[in-house]
Amino acid sequence: MTLIPRVIVCLDVKDGRVVKGTQFRGLRDVGDPVELARRYEEEGADEVVFLDVSASAEGRGTLWETVSRTAAALFVPLTVGGGVRAVGDIADLLRAGADKISVNTAAVARPELLSEGAQRFGSQCVVASIDAAREGERWVAYTHGGRRRTQLDAIGWAVRCAELGAGEILLTSIDQDGARTGYDLELTRRVAERVTVPVIASGGAGSPRHLAEALTAGGASAALLAGILHDGVTTVGEVKRVLMQSGIQVRAA
Amino acid sequence: MKVALIDYGAGNLHSLRKALEVGGAEVDTTTDWNRALSAAALVLPGVGAFGAAVEALGGEASRVQAALQDGYPCLGICLGMQLLFPESEESAGSGIGLIPGRVRRLRSRIVPHMGWNQVETSDDPLFAGVSPLLAYYANSYVCEPEDPSSVIAWTEYEDERFAAAVRSGRTWAVPFHTEKSSVRGLRIVRNILEEVGSA
Repeated sequence: MTLIPRVIVCLDVKDGRVVKGTQFRGLRDVGDPVELARRYEEEGADEVVFLDVSASAEGRGTLWETVSRTAAALFVPLTVGGGVRAVGDIADLLRAGADKISVNTAAVARPELLSEGAQRFGSQCVVASIDAAREGERWVAYTHGGRRRTQLDAIGWAVRCAELGAGEILLTSIDQDGARTGYDLELTRRVAERVTVPVIASGGAGSPRHLAEALTAGGASAALLAGILHDGVTTVGEVKRVLMQSGIQVRAA
Repeated sequence: MKVALIDYGAGNLHSLRKALEVGGAEVDTTTDWNRALSAAALVLPGVGAFGAAVEALGGEASRVQAALQDGYPCLGICLGMQLLFPESEESAGSGIGLIPGRVRRLRSRIVPHMGWNQVETSDDPLFAGVSPLLAYYANSYVCEPEDPSSVIAWTEYEDERFAAAVRSGRTWAVPFHTEKSSVRGLRIVRNILEEVGSA
């Protein structure tokens, strides 16, 4: 009778479509968010994350409609993040059909956003997203999609986010993101030891074994993956088989 | 069969609405208790904070309690389950009070209790065809009914053991999100609708 570690699938959404970055050609359209989210649920994804990468107001409007269509078809939790600025944005996206909202840049700019969101909607739907880069013996938090360095120690910031009311920490290693050589296990473990909310490891998954490491040595409650799934390097089913072989309990599809 | 889905004013109702529709119900999403108590069943959803749900009760707690005691069918999910109790540690205000007991904060190290947890089910019709069950939780609070015989399923998380389903007459209450528990969660919703529809 225990809690099962989660495998979370992340999709980048732009103007109502799922997109994928390729190194030289920018963003490529890879499909309809509703269809892809449903397919990943069928394959056994325990949760789905939409990261909105739309730059325009029109794109944000489309997001509302996308989330609403997805919520009516997806029967595992849906987290939506990207461009969330104020409590009103959180309310709108929850109303549209998101189960949780992740906040990064706006929480650094105004940390009270986390407590306001938690008070109004409950901690369980407020996710603090932290992008961290290693500098010697420490990690520093970045905002604006990893482009802007802050003065914040990433571990201290994670602790503060949880104190403010975030119900979960989505922790992405900027160094490992896209490298496919494994999660930053030390960063993940240090944060997981310091906070008393679930930690989602993100950035660096190159194989199913890396998720197993994040959930054991990293101490994470969940591991997020994106690129290697979308590129067909592995499947959610394969990830779960490997986790099971490593002695980690999983939810069958 | 028409069921009334109460809208506390925040949070995702789409998935639950769709889950009820998939189960064969016609759903009336409402804030009006006259409408809520004149359908075939009442559904109290699981999104928002206790205070907001109490506000949505709009002083109708004793009327709702009386209707449920008279056998008007009800399903309470997560926060909706908490609302069936007299009060909660989370915030002031009175719930429906159908189920005597208390709602307290989890004592586990990692709170919220977030994710898929195993559930020890029983032979209640609620669980037909869904065993073994993994259900999706997103909770910082837990319900403790005074009467242990009302508990029809259990969950263990860290060192805590608590009710995973409570039944009082024709009211069922669960702390997990049926509408987020994939295929088996949808089956639970359908089971309730069939049970309510057949009586």
